[in-house]
Amino acid sequence: MLESSTHVGLQDTNGPLSIDRFGAESARIGREIADGYHRYHIETEEVDDADPLPHRFLVKVGKVGLAKLIAKEMVTYFPQFDVILSRPCTYGVFSGPVGGFSPRPKLCVGCLRCEVQHPDFVKVLPNPDLLALGDSYTTHGHIAAIDEEAKKGIVPVRGQGYRGRFGGPGFDGMLTDMSEIVRPSRDGIHGRELIGTAVDIGSKPMHLSFDSNGKLSGSTPEMFTIQVPFIFDLPPGDLGSPQLVKVVDSTSSRIDTLACLDAHTVARLGLDAPNVVPVLDNTEASRASEFPNARLIELRSSPGRSWGWDAAGFEIANAVTDAMIGIRIHFEEGWQNRLTQAVESGVKVIHLLADLHGCGSDGTFVTELFKEAHMLLIEQGRRDTVTLFGGGGIVGADHVPKAIISGLDAVALDLPVLFALQGRSNGSLRHRENVSGTLPVQLDRDWAEQRLTNLCGSWRDQLLEILGAMGIREVRRLRGEFGRSMVVKHLEDEAFEGIAGYVGGDC
Amino acid sequence: MTIIQNISDTLSGKIVKPSESLVHKTTHLMQDGMKARAFGEYEKPKALGDARWTDELILSTWYMAETGEVPDNLNFKTGKSDGGFDRLDFQFLPESDWLEHSEAIDTKLPLNRRGDKKNKIEIDIPWYGGGMSYGSVSVNVMMSRAKNAKQWNSFMSTGEGGYPPELYEVKENVITQVATGYFGVEEETIQAAPIIEFKYAQGAKPGLGGHLLAAKAGEEVAKLRGSVPFVSLFSPFPFHSTYSVEDHSKHLDWIETVNPKAILSVKVSTPHDVDMVAVGSYYAGAHIIHLDGGYGGTGAAPEIAKKNIAMPIELAIPKVHKFLQKEGVRDKVTIIASGGVRTADDIAKAIALGADGCVLGTTDLVGMGCTRCSNCEGGPSGRGCPWGLTTTDIELQEWVQQDWGAKRLDNLYTAMQWRLRDILRKLGLSNVRELRGRTDLLRYIGKEADE
Repeated sequence: MLESSTHVGLQDTNGPLSIDRFGAESARIGREIADGYHRYHIETEEVDDADPLPHRFLVKVGKVGLAKLIAKEMVTYFPQFDVILSRPCTYGVFSGPVGGFSPRPKLCVGCLRCEVQHPDFVKVLPNPDLLALGDSYTTHGHIAAIDEEAKKGIVPVRGQGYRGRFGGPGFDGMLTDMSEIVRPSRDGIHGRELIGTAVDIGSKPMHLSFDSNGKLSGSTPEMFTIQVPFIFDLPPGDLGSPQLVKVVDSTSSRIDTLACLDAHTVARLGLDAPNVVPVLDNTEASRASEFPNARLIELRSSPGRSWGWDAAGFEIANAVTDAMIGIRIHFEEGWQNRLTQAVESGVKVIHLLADLHGCGSDGTFVTELFKEAHMLLIEQGRRDTVTLFGGGGIVGADHVPKAIISGLDAVALDLPVLFALQGRSNGSLRHRENVSGTLPVQLDRDWAEQRLTNLCGSWRDQLLEILGAMGIREVRRLRGEFGRSMVVKHLEDEAFEGIAGYVGGDC
Repeated sequence: MTIIQNISDTLSGKIVKPSESLVHKTTHLMQDGMKARAFGEYEKPKALGDARWTDELILSTWYMAETGEVPDNLNFKTGKSDGGFDRLDFQFLPESDWLEHSEAIDTKLPLNRRGDKKNKIEIDIPWYGGGMSYGSVSVNVMMSRAKNAKQWNSFMSTGEGGYPPELYEVKENVITQVATGYFGVEEETIQAAPIIEFKYAQGAKPGLGGHLLAAKAGEEVAKLRGSVPFVSLFSPFPFHSTYSVEDHSKHLDWIETVNPKAILSVKVSTPHDVDMVAVGSYYAGAHIIHLDGGYGGTGAAPEIAKKNIAMPIELAIPKVHKFLQKEGVRDKVTIIASGGVRTADDIAKAIALGADGCVLGTTDLVGMGCTRCSNCEGGPSGRGCPWGLTTTDIELQEWVQQDWGAKRLDNLYTAMQWRLRDILRKLGLSNVRELRGRTDLLRYIGKEADE
């Protein structure tokens, strides 16, 4: 981001402009511009755990077997204490005060050297408590990754190759492309070279119109910019406690993005601000005037009504506020019509919602749904006049670029907030209204804000990795770039066509 | 060393070169443990394995490295990744049509098909060892692999970390890699090698460049790489001197000037246009096009890159093979596939899909004890692999002794060659080169077979 509030220009206007004076003034102006430049960056900082996840592994040591080993080694190797006291763990699992008699499983990384070396009395087991977290979509692996990202704020780097399944459903069935040549260098993407992650929210005209005098006569862009292509969505289910809402609010302000929050909560807690998107029921549209600082207000269907487009609500809200009015549309039957009607009526921000497994009511996954919405607007010649947010099923860093490739301008985050704050789910992880969770008892606000900031920093940096590999210098250009993705199913069809037993789509 | 000093150093956690006794004790415990597990004397470790490398695949690799034979009671052929190699199988002939199992089944692979005046190289098996840099692994591991390559008249690539002097002993079987950071690239190391490999990209981190974290870039590693000790080394991406196929051609010309006899390999990952990249590399002068698929191994890579960027090798091979056929140049270039190639069955499937041969990396490490715990980048200890494989820690690297490592790999390759021949004879082929592109000999196992 280039920000300069400094006025620059020739200050010394006395007398003729000499070469020397021109040089000095140019240098001064250059310095002022440089001083006024602020490169967008999310400051991350590792924080401690408040309620750590269960350890990855359980370490069981047979005490009799260990005692026998020590006795045997005392006899065999005395007085070579480096040999007698050596342990099969470089991570300190057996380095506590009483060594292996009281192992420290939280330090275990699962290398299994101890179990292989001492099969008679050491066992390392996957921890069932960790495996039990999450559900079939938001797996314990996603939760553990979010936890690590929120703790450290870095791009997770590990050795060895990929360990998971070949392709898979949902986002796993999409691969991102890369370019063998021509790109920002990797040593640059996190510092020196700019890859923009800013996105514009609002509406741009599809073309400019001029009158006979050459002056602009048609509509002009109505938009503002946020610095990352993800926003915080309305906390699902019972997660919208004042504690969590305040953390989401302050984090969104800190990283320059948006937080969709229940309008009643916004009013009650006094959170009206440019980074906050109050979400109102259609029937309360007139209350849009109560949020003078908001840049965007979203309307949702009233409880008990279908997920419909309410033109009246939009008109009322538009009449009472200067803020942009966005509409939340669920992927329920007929969503395409509602989207079209809303855009035809002048809605500039559409917030599309799938369930938390990323599915519409007919089971279609969001990559297809986002693509359909994007293409619908392109076919209507309106794509740039509207901003598409989308949420549901975004639980991994790779889901952000994949959702954008599918057609979104920005992605809405819901469940990752809960897991970033080391909360635990005790309800559905699929249906928004049934989500239930608990946060750590002692939720320190600074700690929580840093955790959420770390998550955003990590996900943004991972987005840079993906963009860097593609050679794309700004995320706005990734929107709807289907050609920058590869669908495993399509690749399989191409590669395995003609092989006996292969029928397309079996992936 | 006094007893008090000995106890003090041990308890303080000070890292020192281990005594002979400690090396003896540790290596025996590790080796005996691996053997016992491979032979099924204990139950399979519950925490061992993943979808790509299952517990049985790891243990069967240990078994083969121990015995030189394939196991009877472990699945040594496939993992459980639910796709790619793991859903492909062979359509064998009726048993009455099988060939005899004999050494007459030819597994040789020529690497230079251009008919030029450069080295005419033929390897005895259709695979060689992929690049693992000094720094990512120890000299002991490099030498284990290189000695085994010599034993098998094959090769091992240096990776991008320079050329440890010990390697000159086996230089005829060592490929010098030139990668984007040019770490350790010198005139002597280019002149020493029969094959020079340009690494444009790596399957595990396509488009991102090499990655050695500071903790592993110690004094010796830095010296060989010409870098500052304990500074993270991120190789740039791409070659900053390459913005076109013409630039790439200049690279190859440069190598030709320094070592006119060396044949040239170009290692690329698998983007959407990998077929175009391959044909461009051929016209630029490459003898070998080395495709490294998206599920490949690495000493360190961002997790997001391993799974998501570029395509798996199974899907890239046919694309490139068919495109080079259409271009009429398929028989003038060698396609080598890597990135998730684990077993002899994988190698045979890759060849049937259109490759000429393969490169192995992780398989070698598993053969020497790797459990795929994914802490190669340093792990929480910062010291690297506790098995002594992906580390240059002065203590840990001693757990892998060169002759032991070479013998393990020799055994493993013996078993793999046996299995490859077993596949060929059941297909009625007397020559591995006849298998190339024979997708008609493959079958796809759908999900219905799981039920």
